[in-house]
Amino acid sequence: MDEWTLRAEGLTKHFGPVVGCDDVSFDVAAGEALGIIGESGSGKSTVLRCLAGDIAPTLGAARLRRRAETVSLFELDASQRRALRVETVSVVYQDPAEGLDLRISAGGNIAERLTAAGWRHFGRIRARARELLERVEVPLDRMDDPVVTFSGGMRQRVQLAKAIANNPLLLLLDEPTTGLDASVASGVLDLIRSLLEELDVASVVVSHDMGVISMLTARVAVMHRGRVVERGLTDQLFEDPQDAYSQKLVAAARG
Amino acid sequence: MTTSPHPVLTVSALEKRFYLHAIDREVDALRGIDLTIRPGEHVALVGASGAGKSTLLKCIWRSYVPSAGHVLLRRPDSSVVDLASASEQVMIDVRQRDLGYVSQFLRPEQRRSVLDVVQRAARRRGVSDGDALDEASAALTRVGLERKLWATSPVVLSGGEQQRVNLAAGTLAPPGLLLLDEPIAALDAQNRESVLGLIAELVDSGTAVLSVFHDLGAVRALATRVVVLDGGSIVAEGDPAVIVPSELAS
Repeated sequence: MDEWTLRAEGLTKHFGPVVGCDDVSFDVAAGEALGIIGESGSGKSTVLRCLAGDIAPTLGAARLRRRAETVSLFELDASQRRALRVETVSVVYQDPAEGLDLRISAGGNIAERLTAAGWRHFGRIRARARELLERVEVPLDRMDDPVVTFSGGMRQRVQLAKAIANNPLLLLLDEPTTGLDASVASGVLDLIRSLLEELDVASVVVSHDMGVISMLTARVAVMHRGRVVERGLTDQLFEDPQDAYSQKLVAAARG
Repeated sequence: MTTSPHPVLTVSALEKRFYLHAIDREVDALRGIDLTIRPGEHVALVGASGAGKSTLLKCIWRSYVPSAGHVLLRRPDSSVVDLASASEQVMIDVRQRDLGYVSQFLRPEQRRSVLDVVQRAARRRGVSDGDALDEASAALTRVGLERKLWATSPVVLSGGEQQRVNLAAGTLAPPGLLLLDEPIAALDAQNRESVLGLIAELVDSGTAVLSVFHDLGAVRALATRVVVLDGGSIVAEGDPAVIVPSELAS
């Protein structure tokens, strides 16, 4: 397939003597979500944080392509990287405190992302924030409340609204429902699924949870000790895992 | 009925082995399978449980990874793709457009309405947004699922109702090849008859079917050819009336 939006090649991150991730490569096209599954410490979040620009990789390349224009993510300076994170690459973190300023309002968090992208007209910013909060099903009468007063599920919804505010090309989701109560998590998961379907965005979903991966992705890579040990169709991984570690992972999930 | 000379599916020298790392053991599931299916043919797989019938369907659907051999699928544009080695992206595209799979073990997508599940399947097969609702309604009516259930999530439905949602989604805007694994297992007599009628109609209009039915009466009534599996190999092949004695099919 030559229709990639994101291409990661040989992505490697060492923390001193510790291997974060090692020689990880994959493509993701617009309108599809790639799952990365593995236990904690497998390196899956390291991959995501390198792509997000939160940490610098030791080796490797990642390119992002929109029509004829290609950007090498790891060759940007700090200000270019910040600009990219405003309009092109969005991250939804497990902990909403990483993606939001909890002291300011839901509307304010979204307005911040919009103004960073050049929005100036107050009325239009309000209208766009309202539209986004409505889309993620946050009650509009809470729009001006500080996010710190919101429940975990609602905070995650605000983080999603902020992440999609400028129609990103790439959406990175790091354990987006981990830590939420089961019923709250399933509501947030439904929301993410429908957003992925309507946005035509390229997405990478990192999770240790097979339920999350199987609901959101059709393709998956399994990471273990920093390396991709298996890749395949998501239902194939669950029905016929090939690698020794994948077989253990699936057997454990089945209980 | 179409008389296309080209097979829609050509399986050759297909092998499937499972290697279980935890106990360092290899299990042979399919050996040297050769099989050809043309448009408008309904090939039924029969054999004892464990013979490899479902495994063969899953190797074609690629929820199992074939160990060796080829699974050639001819697509509507006449291109041929080897499902045994196709990339995941190509497989996803093939599954959406050209291949259907209905299994008694497959649960419909949860937390969506029945109508939504079936409409999505229609759109993936290229039905326009404007026609998807009509096509989905017609498909659900055909499998006899009451309209009052269409707005509910499949999770609250009985096994037989879920089965019919899968059948509606799997058979509308029919793909070139339909894989059926016990599609009537959970159905009552009346629904069983209407589903068998639906499968017969699809085959008449040119869809190729590869099926597994526990019910030998259904095999005798519907199949144009029977393939007998034993221990992962094809041991006999032929006319259903000859292979499935009528006393077994009652």
